[in-house]
Amino acid sequence: MIQLTNIEKYYANKGVKNYVLRLVTTTINQGEFVSIMGPSGAGKSTLLNIIGMLEEPTYGIYNFLGEDVTNLNERKRIELYRNHIGFVFQAYHLIDEMTVYENIEAPLLYKKVGSAERASRIADLLDRFNMVAKKDLFPNQLSGGQQQLVGIARALAAQPSIILADEPTGNLQSAQAEEIMSLFKKLNEEEGITIIQVTHSEKNAQYGSRILHIADGLIKEDMAVVA
Amino acid sequence: MFRLNLKIALRNLWRNRGITSINVGGLAIALAAFILVILYFTYETSFDKTNPNYNNIYVVGRIEPDFKTNYTSPPFAKAIKQHLPEVENAGITKRGFFEFSMKNGKNTLFAKNFMQADYNAAKILDLKPTGGLEKPPGNVERLSYLSKENMRALFPDKTDNKPEIVGMGASNSGITSKINGSITNNLHSNITFDGISIGNEIGKGENYGYNNYTTYIQVKPGTDVANLEQKITDLYRKELLKGETDQKTIAEIKGVSTFLDPLANLHLRPKAGNDAPYKILIALSILGILILVIACINFTNLSIAQATKRAKEVGIKKVMGAYRFQLTAQFLVEIFIQCFVATILGLTLAELSLPYFNNLFQVNLSIWTTENDLCWQLPLILCVITLIAGTYPALVLSGFKPALVLKGNFSTSKQSSWLRNGLLVFQFSIAVIFIIGLFIINSQLKYMRSEDLGFTANQVVYIKNISMFNKPETFAPVRDKILKIPGIKSATVATDIPDGAEGGANGYTFEGVKSSLDFIDVDFDYFETLDIKLKEGRFFSKSFPADTTNGAVVNESTVAKYGMKNPVGKTIRGCNIDYKIVGVVKDFKAQGFESAVKPTIYSIKNPCGNYKTQIMVKIEGNKMSSALAALKAQWLQINPKDGEDFRYEFLDDLYGKLFKKQEQLQSVFFGAALLTIFIAVLGLFAFAKYITNGRIKEIAVRKILGASDIQIFSLINSSFFIMVLIANVISWPLAYVITKRWLETFAYRIDLPILPFISSALITILLTVITVSIQARKAVKANPVDALKYE
Repeated sequence: MIQLTNIEKYYANKGVKNYVLRLVTTTINQGEFVSIMGPSGAGKSTLLNIIGMLEEPTYGIYNFLGEDVTNLNERKRIELYRNHIGFVFQAYHLIDEMTVYENIEAPLLYKKVGSAERASRIADLLDRFNMVAKKDLFPNQLSGGQQQLVGIARALAAQPSIILADEPTGNLQSAQAEEIMSLFKKLNEEEGITIIQVTHSEKNAQYGSRILHIADGLIKEDMAVVA
Repeated sequence: MFRLNLKIALRNLWRNRGITSINVGGLAIALAAFILVILYFTYETSFDKTNPNYNNIYVVGRIEPDFKTNYTSPPFAKAIKQHLPEVENAGITKRGFFEFSMKNGKNTLFAKNFMQADYNAAKILDLKPTGGLEKPPGNVERLSYLSKENMRALFPDKTDNKPEIVGMGASNSGITSKINGSITNNLHSNITFDGISIGNEIGKGENYGYNNYTTYIQVKPGTDVANLEQKITDLYRKELLKGETDQKTIAEIKGVSTFLDPLANLHLRPKAGNDAPYKILIALSILGILILVIACINFTNLSIAQATKRAKEVGIKKVMGAYRFQLTAQFLVEIFIQCFVATILGLTLAELSLPYFNNLFQVNLSIWTTENDLCWQLPLILCVITLIAGTYPALVLSGFKPALVLKGNFSTSKQSSWLRNGLLVFQFSIAVIFIIGLFIINSQLKYMRSEDLGFTANQVVYIKNISMFNKPETFAPVRDKILKIPGIKSATVATDIPDGAEGGANGYTFEGVKSSLDFIDVDFDYFETLDIKLKEGRFFSKSFPADTTNGAVVNESTVAKYGMKNPVGKTIRGCNIDYKIVGVVKDFKAQGFESAVKPTIYSIKNPCGNYKTQIMVKIEGNKMSSALAALKAQWLQINPKDGEDFRYEFLDDLYGKLFKKQEQLQSVFFGAALLTIFIAVLGLFAFAKYITNGRIKEIAVRKILGASDIQIFSLINSSFFIMVLIANVISWPLAYVITKRWLETFAYRIDLPILPFISSALITILLTVITVSIQARKAVKANPVDALKYE
């Protein structure tokens, strides 16, 4: 599903190249649950951003669903966002002016999903996440864990094939974190959604099927999680 | 989608309602000013536009070697129509030159301008008597009409359109006249009148010397006007040269030419006359546009200042699959909503301030009529301001890169700070220019009001009169009777009163030098009544009978013009009279402050002069009302020829009208200064709010490091302080040049003072410090722990 070949990313500063990623080559298949781990500044988030096409690599080739997406134009990229990729953020990034319901609805509006279909999908998601009673609340009226649930629901609304999560539990207490991670695991196992997450926590990484250890921009270790 | 965006927009605006109302309010005020300006502009530029031949009508004027004039003579129009085929029609009009009364029983009307026009002119000018324009039938010389308003004043109960007989002048004069009907007096036209008489031919028998008429021509569409102008000049010279043999006169005639002035130019910038109204209109329009642009800039500024708040939304929407243009459109719609509200508010404000504006500019504008074009102008303005105010923020906001925005710790302040600072400096520069301008206009007006005029208009009453008193003996009995009234100190009659009116001019020879002098024909006590100061010699006096035949008084400017030494007793020749100079008076500003005092000669006898009809009396202040009452009661006995209609005006009021234009300017500048300061401060207020919010963390850290409140206040203020200082430095030279040019339009003016420049700096700096400190206070008072807790 995702094929990265010799991906490099550096920032040139006064002629000195500061490498963030070096010669990253890896393949992620449909249905995998990959955790990217490593110390601060290792390039984890940059790698995730490149996978999510939020940043472009300086060098290297990136194939997404068999298509070269290294230099994609805006229109094509947004098509991919609408149909294949869901984002989950550490800081939740819900739109403050929208209610829970509207936040979940937004991607469907961009995808031009019909209103009946929209209503049923949202109802389904709210039901699944036990948020029906909270659908008319604004994000600042929810706890962090609840906000992240909405964030995930929003990412799922468009029925993506892959979810990219940047430290999804970074701001949460451990109980809430466990809840979110179990949810990811369930989505991965029951619905076959590919999940790539960046995490600091060894414990969270254990929920996945594979761990990529990154340090100083290089993949140091690529190991499968033994259940 | 649209509904959701609308909801977000409204929630967002509501959440930031402080800034939103500043935004919308500032724009609304500017729009109100702009609406007034376009109303005025449309009105001023559309005089006579209802005339079906608007673009083909011209006034024919003369160019003499030293002046241009619209006054021409009756035979000229006839000659033009006869000889030039491209002229479809030509006609003449004549203004009423003096005020007279018309009576119907107890109803009295004073007609200041009872115009005359020939039938052709009436046709060209699209005059519309009730029932249609008629050609006077063969046996009737004239058809006279009164304007509808005047007709109603004289005949309040009249419902039909039948002719009426009215009394002319005093009721004892026994003169009556027939009024054939009423006529529309279009105030939105160059041709206005109290009444008009239309004849098949007017000015019959008057030759080319009688330049008292205005000639209008209507040319065929598509005529080459420059070519026609040349042909008319040739024709004019040919006509004047007929039968002329004197070589000198022939040479003079060759120096005369004519011009064509389109009807469209007559109101604002006639070729013969000054184009000050046009300049004022242009200045006012620029002002209106400027204010609107500043408000739009404010808007842009504030929208960008709020960018950080919206950045996250943009980032998220982009990763959810929103195209950039969708986001641009969303922001534009948001700004459009605000502009729309501002327009409605602006319209309301304009409506509220319209009476004041109408009073100031002596117009009668209204928003709610279809003819003022607002119905298409307003939507256009709305769209334009939305684009001006909205394009940049919409593009900036929709251009955020999600990867940057979503990482957190996103700040736009660095990116666009030079732009926002620049905009703020620009706003304050404009405000400073208006403040300085206002101060300088105020000083000049104060100077004009307090400066010694050289004569005293106070307590001098000007009496309107139509009898002529060219000979002192005819005025003597009138004066005697007037002086019997207690409280009246002196009375005189002259051709002109010092209210800014231009006197006549003629050539005078002194010791072999011939030069043109203004002349004013006066009677005894003229100088005494006006309290004019004597420099040498004496005033006219009844004890010197020769004064009434060849006595003359000159002013200082005349002495300077001829370089006279010891002028008293010497002879100056003009109008075939050898005048003996009996006295020299100090210059007095009869024409106001804009032109220098003209070299003038005052005489009692002047065959080349005009009619002495302007009576002036000096009355003791505490007996003013009783004296006026007595004059009114006895006027019929005092001045039987003028009749029972005693009408007067105070000379200082009349002279004060000379300041009207400047007072208008003062009001405009006052309004503009207030508006620009207000809008600039609004912008500053929101900007400071934004900046302090962005620096809350920095302030908290500094406080922990031991900074005092004062230090933090000065820290936040310093950047704004510098910006306002820069704005002042930029606008000083500009204001200097502009105000200097304005002051140069006065012959008598103040020296350009420094104080306004300093005060403008102080005012703007003070306003800045207050505004910023109000905002900074919150950040300074906050507990640093709160600010540092969230990370």
